[in-house]
Amino acid sequence: MKAIKTLILTLVASFAATALHAAGELNLFGWSEYVPQDVLEGFTKETGIKVNFETYASNEELLSKLVAGGGNYDLIQPSEYAAELMIRRKMLAPLDKAKLPNLKNLDPELKGQVHDPEDNFTVPYMSGTVGIVVNTEVVKTPIKGYKDVFQAKFKDRLVVLNDNRELVTWALYSLGLPINEINPAALAKARPVVAEWVKLVKVFDSDSPKTALLNGDVDLGIVWSGEAAILWNENKKFQYVLPAEGAHRFIDILAIPANAPHKAEAHAFINYILRPEVSKIVSENFPYTNPNLGARQLLTAEQLANPASYPPAGAKLQTFRDIGKAAADIDKLVTDLKSAQ
Amino acid sequence: MSAVPAATELAPTDSRRPGWRAWALLAPMVLWLLAFVVVPTAILLVYSFCERDEVGGVIFTFTWENYHRVFDPVYLRIFVRSVYYAGLTTVICVVLGYPVAYYIARASVERRNQLLLLVMVPFWTSFLIRTYAWITILKQDGLLNGLLLSMNFITEPLGLLYTPTAVVIGLVYAYLPFMILPIYGSAEKLDNSLIEAAHDLGAGPVRAFSSVIVPLTMPGIAAGTLLVFVPAIGMFAITDLMGGAKVPMIGNVIQNQFLQARDWPFGAALGVIFMLMFALTYVILQSRGARHAT
Amino acid sequence: MSTTPLAMIEIRAVTKRFGRFAAVDRVSLTVRAGEFITLLGPSGCGKTTLLRLLAGFETPDEGQILLDGMEVSHLPPYRRNVNQVFQSYALFPHLTVRENVGFGLRMKNVPAADAGPRIRDALAMVSLDEMADRFPHQLSGGQRQRVALARAIVCRPKVLLLDEPLSALDAKLRHTMQLELKHLHKKLGLTFVFVTHDQEEALTMSDRIAVINRGQIEQLGDASEIYHKPRTAFAADFIGQANLLNVTVTGRNGTTARVRLDNGLELTVAAAGLPATAKSALVSIRPEKICISKQRMDSENVFAAHIEEEIFRGATDQLRLVTEQGTKLNALVANESAMQEAFHEGDRVWCGLHLDDVVIVQTD
Repeated sequence: MKAIKTLILTLVASFAATALHAAGELNLFGWSEYVPQDVLEGFTKETGIKVNFETYASNEELLSKLVAGGGNYDLIQPSEYAAELMIRRKMLAPLDKAKLPNLKNLDPELKGQVHDPEDNFTVPYMSGTVGIVVNTEVVKTPIKGYKDVFQAKFKDRLVVLNDNRELVTWALYSLGLPINEINPAALAKARPVVAEWVKLVKVFDSDSPKTALLNGDVDLGIVWSGEAAILWNENKKFQYVLPAEGAHRFIDILAIPANAPHKAEAHAFINYILRPEVSKIVSENFPYTNPNLGARQLLTAEQLANPASYPPAGAKLQTFRDIGKAAADIDKLVTDLKSAQ
Repeated sequence: MSAVPAATELAPTDSRRPGWRAWALLAPMVLWLLAFVVVPTAILLVYSFCERDEVGGVIFTFTWENYHRVFDPVYLRIFVRSVYYAGLTTVICVVLGYPVAYYIARASVERRNQLLLLVMVPFWTSFLIRTYAWITILKQDGLLNGLLLSMNFITEPLGLLYTPTAVVIGLVYAYLPFMILPIYGSAEKLDNSLIEAAHDLGAGPVRAFSSVIVPLTMPGIAAGTLLVFVPAIGMFAITDLMGGAKVPMIGNVIQNQFLQARDWPFGAALGVIFMLMFALTYVILQSRGARHAT
Repeated sequence: MSTTPLAMIEIRAVTKRFGRFAAVDRVSLTVRAGEFITLLGPSGCGKTTLLRLLAGFETPDEGQILLDGMEVSHLPPYRRNVNQVFQSYALFPHLTVRENVGFGLRMKNVPAADAGPRIRDALAMVSLDEMADRFPHQLSGGQRQRVALARAIVCRPKVLLLDEPLSALDAKLRHTMQLELKHLHKKLGLTFVFVTHDQEEALTMSDRIAVINRGQIEQLGDASEIYHKPRTAFAADFIGQANLLNVTVTGRNGTTARVRLDNGLELTVAAAGLPATAKSALVSIRPEKICISKQRMDSENVFAAHIEEEIFRGATDQLRLVTEQGTKLNALVANESAMQEAFHEGDRVWCGLHLDDVVIVQTD
């Protein structure tokens, strides 16, 4: 009898311990390869809050996990169009700005964007663009826009993102059509353009498009600006060009799901990451455009000179809006054209 | 009377029916299969008749729409191509794997174990790492081109990576062990006196191989075919990494439904059709193998 | 049949080594056409290796093998006109009985019109016409044995090799098959080389027996010769039962000689088998050759003994005798009818031995 009592007491005690411990936890669900380990460790060291880090590889993966109700995530990192959808579906918790004094460090240009006009739910983490990388040692002709990339003479010398919406977006840009109005008429116009383009591409790769460029398998690419920045760091022959017809800008944000169990810890983490010296670590690891002006002041001249991280002002940049079920139409269109080869 | 029950308990009337002890031993596996095979398959089946919502969730209705879309020419063409690539991979695996498996099976026991170990060594490393190793070999300034250039076999580097050839190389590399091991299993059981009997009756090496050795190792070839062909149809990582994601395979299409198009019901329908193909392949191989089975 | 016996098989000083072990050690043997010869010996003696050398599964390290006058030592099995019946039958499990039997003809590209009747004949010869469309696993052991036979003879080989073909069958079936094989041999007139470790089988079936031990032929002769006149201790001991006794030569008297057993019993033997200089020898006495009676009989060798043990063996009784001098001997007597004397444990009896039944197997 006594043994059983002891056992029960031990169990209760250990449950209590876990419960206490759980109060100091943060379940972060973020992109793979996007949050430096140093930042996570620094946060835990300073606050004692343990960070459980899980990763995803696409906004769609994030959405489906949240919709399926799996996991009790406290902090997520969607791109702006996914965040827009989540705000509309009331999947995000409003932010308590009193707990986020470091919001003052943010670039005002990135405030009040269409996905969250009042900035009630989201905080920009990093932003970037999708643009052209040119190996200037091989390609001597000037490359200014999509039409310059997709030329017959560059057949099998191209790498582009393996992302169907991106591909269609570039076609729409080159046609002068709005990129967020995906309807049968727009797709019908884009179709012949995309059909020609896919024939020219050597590699479709979203995860590491820089590899094919570095390996010398291709000379031109349309890639994430972060990838282009790494290429430029590697070798200055890789020049980044924002397409003249217009380019996709993405803003990856930080947000708290409506049902997050540890909202206070999530706020603490957001505020921590908004510190210039912390945000700087993110920039050093992932050279996208840092929206934190305080952090930018801490960057080196070379880091700031990277045209992929900080492209010259004046380019036409647009973010994606959620297109709902039209994503399936895009998927079918591109699948069809790719497999027609 | 009192002694009789003990006797009947010791001599079960139907030895094929598992008793409660057997069920107790089977329970973990049954539960595992139920939780991780039966239930997910059932979910897949249910989803395949549902509709998607805008976020990518599933609306529970009943519709054949997803199956209609599966039989759209776009996807049928991809199915056919996937089957072609998987078939080519299987044939190459048989041609390359059979002699290896046969040689291992006929080697001395000690040597046999060493060779089997070598066949399984690739499994010690992550599949992705091995695939990246192939990229290093096949890329434009990679090892193979370097070797061929330095030996003056070619003057210009060959564009090997991101081609259908690279995909097939990757597929064959990934699945070859799954062909070798079952064939080895069959060849090892092959009674040497049967081969001697064939020679004794006038069969030279070629005819002994084709009329005795191949038919008798057919169960291994069939099992290997199943283990290579079916997963090769659904493979998407190799087509992405080594084929440059240029030509989608059915695995890529399914992956896209879940990770890009947010269309789980359609992905589920593709998955169900894919499973039916698996079952069909299995049934065909079984019925053809039945004659040779015993 | 030709009147002059032809040499169908000639084995000339053949040696086959596995590593340093000589499985077949300088063996020479000539087999006449149409002969039924048995290679008899314990397991590991080299008899199977010798058979495999004939089949072509092994090639000799030294020496030659001639088949019907042609050297075949290094010819692969599929180029030799011999066929083998395997110990395990080695029937092809994926083929029907008909396909199994027809396999050799198919390999030799015999046209179907020709092959059909030949397969039918072969199956009829082993009484398996009904089973032609079954698979081996649907047959009994004896039926499989017959399929293996039919499969081997349908090719009309010059020599049929049989590797312990009856060892997997039960005793009764084995006897039936022994007779069937003998009939088949007569009917076909083929040369049979039969390997067995069963001495009774060898004695029943063979024209000649080659007793093989440690890779060498110890003795070659017909069944009666092998049984009655074993030339070595091994041959005497391996075939049938034998009382093997060490003796010392004590005297000679023309055609006979006197020998003394270690513990004093003296026997008279035929001098023919005993070289003039021999001082000692090993003799073999078959148990059934010892004549036993309650009355003293008249014979070259008569001595008294008592029955220490009696073992009932059905048709025969095995008696363990101890002579007055203490020599232990095994004797075998027919199980007595009520008309005859009965022997029991503890009885005192007289034993008689004809001098020709004391066989000298070894001298020094």
